Amino acid sequence: MPSNNTASSSAAGSSDSSTTRRNSKRPKYSKFTQQELPACKPILTPGWVILTFLVISVIFIPLGVVSLFASQDVVEIVDRYDNDCIPPPSRADKVAYIQGAANKTCTRTIVVPKKMKQPIYVYYELENFYQNHRRYVKSRSDAQLRSVRDENQIEGCKPEDDVNGQPIVPCGLIAWSLFNDTYALSKNNQPLNVSKKGIAWKSDREHKFGKNVFPKNFQMGNITGGGRLIPNVPLSEQEDLIVWMRTAALPTFRKLYGKIETDLQENDTIHVVLENNYNTYSFDGKKKLVLSTTSWLGGKNDFLGIAYLTVGGICFFLALAFTIMYLVKPRRLGDPTYLSWNRVPGGGR
Amino acid sequence: MLQEADIGVGISGVEGMQAVMSSDIAIAQFRYLERLLLVHGHWCYSRISSMICYFFYKNITFGVTIFLYEAYTSFSAQPAYNDWFLSLFNVFFSSLPVIAVGVFDQDVSARFCYKFPLLYQEGVQNILFSWKRIIGWMFNGVISALAIFFLCKESLKHQLFDPNGKTAGWEVLGGTMYTCMVWVVNLQLALSISYFTWVQHIVIWGSIALWYIFLMIYGAMSPSFSTDAYMVFLEALAPAPSYWLTTLFVMIFSLIPYFIYKSVKMRFFPVYHQMIQWIRYEGHSNDAEFVEMVRQRSIRPTTVGYTARRAASVRREDRFYDQIHTDLVAF
Repeated sequence: MPSNNTASSSAAGSSDSSTTRRNSKRPKYSKFTQQELPACKPILTPGWVILTFLVISVIFIPLGVVSLFASQDVVEIVDRYDNDCIPPPSRADKVAYIQGAANKTCTRTIVVPKKMKQPIYVYYELENFYQNHRRYVKSRSDAQLRSVRDENQIEGCKPEDDVNGQPIVPCGLIAWSLFNDTYALSKNNQPLNVSKKGIAWKSDREHKFGKNVFPKNFQMGNITGGGRLIPNVPLSEQEDLIVWMRTAALPTFRKLYGKIETDLQENDTIHVVLENNYNTYSFDGKKKLVLSTTSWLGGKNDFLGIAYLTVGGICFFLALAFTIMYLVKPRRLGDPTYLSWNRVPGGGR
Repeated sequence: MLQEADIGVGISGVEGMQAVMSSDIAIAQFRYLERLLLVHGHWCYSRISSMICYFFYKNITFGVTIFLYEAYTSFSAQPAYNDWFLSLFNVFFSSLPVIAVGVFDQDVSARFCYKFPLLYQEGVQNILFSWKRIIGWMFNGVISALAIFFLCKESLKHQLFDPNGKTAGWEVLGGTMYTCMVWVVNLQLALSISYFTWVQHIVIWGSIALWYIFLMIYGAMSPSFSTDAYMVFLEALAPAPSYWLTTLFVMIFSLIPYFIYKSVKMRFFPVYHQMIQWIRYEGHSNDAEFVEMVRQRSIRPTTVGYTARRAASVRREDRFYDQIHTDLVAF
């Protein structure tokens, strides 16, 4: 600015430059606003590619071996009983049999293939049962399950919400369809104790199902969907119900029935006296009884082990393939004449 | 004229502010136009194309996993994830990294943008946002979603994932799949960019960490609010080694196809800005003659006018001989 310059032209050099600085419109420099932050700019060189694949295979192959061993250690017995437990004369019309009043007791024999160390978990497995159907999943009242005060919060529970104007506790289709087959196991004529304590998740027992909520008007309607509940046991102790109400993710699922706390030896014969009450015949479902030990990885599932081994192997093979490829094919820097706009005569798109 | 143009650039100066007021971009001196076009023009194009392609990718990954799950719920519209997980995916767990890429990414530094002005042609020729690229990213999203869904489903097939024998419910499958998805989507972004400052590090690793923190906080809220996600992480997922193993496996497996594609492309079929990255990496950028040679060979021939058409038809015949000559040039 001319006026300022004449005023400071006689001043010392430092005040001259400070005047110029004061009048400059240059924004304050910062690395962030000028986009000059210290940066790491990695590119995929051959070294990195081969190293990455080798590291992956070195990590994955041992993990796969360990997982596969863990899964192989688990002993699992699966016994499908829904067809066999219907007496031959009734097999033509299974639905009528299961809905009728006939005696539904059935005896199964299981042979233990390998020594099973306790605790041995007893599960029931259902197939073709869509516990993850949206209307089914929504058909419950969490407020009602937690506290007696919210007994009347039955909005989502239709059609199993009330009976003669009285609310059903617990309401909803999930509770109404409670699984009610029972299993009594015995080994060499000695009954095997199946512990039903601690089969539900702790957070469910303590926070989602109230200690002072008791079943009311349960299974009083015209159609019985499943099991009944003991009226004087609070919901937080009805572990079968709690396990059942954790809806499953897939149409084929297992749920924990109980725990056996003694060892089972190889070739032991287990007799199961079961009550075949639950109707899966209307929708072609299957019922299975499963006994399984667990490892640190869970139940018997070779998938993780095999998957890790496969991918580890593939990565190792890829590391070799890339090494060969990088050695065999000389790298052109990337001749710019081969840019796409130069390749087509006249430079088209 | 400024208003009619696609982008009008006005220069503010002694002739007044009229041009500035009717322009899209205002600069202070005419010489800044070079930086505006060559540096910011190229960066803007490259950032926006990667951002949009990645947006498609991550939402397709998210949506296709939910769609695949529907096949297992007899298409009853039961989502695989808790409601809040669904809402917050695009807010907390995958949005900040892509915003950081859209704002801060630099595939080639400013110095190189000046040195190789032909980078600007990447935008003119629409190299980085071609249909091939868009469909490629969408396909990548579908593959990632297939990998995430089927691998998680198989590893939880019998629902026996817990060493204490308890079974996995819907919330466990949802939590596992969502964790894998957050990891895959963020690591995919980290793989596709090649410019990491503290901003990128914080948003990418921060988004992943935020997911775990969110799971713990949301799970600790009362069950009337967190419904099925109540304590799902601390009680069911975290103590189960199979959850961590599944996450690790799925995230590596889903990224291997893209990793192979990028390695091969970078080495054997690099795009122009990737060639510049190689030049920088190998230190040839300080060699002025080399840089000049690369520049000369990149020049796009003229396309308008009789002379250009004649030259193009001649070039078609010469191309065969050109190829032989190129192979003899030692770089």
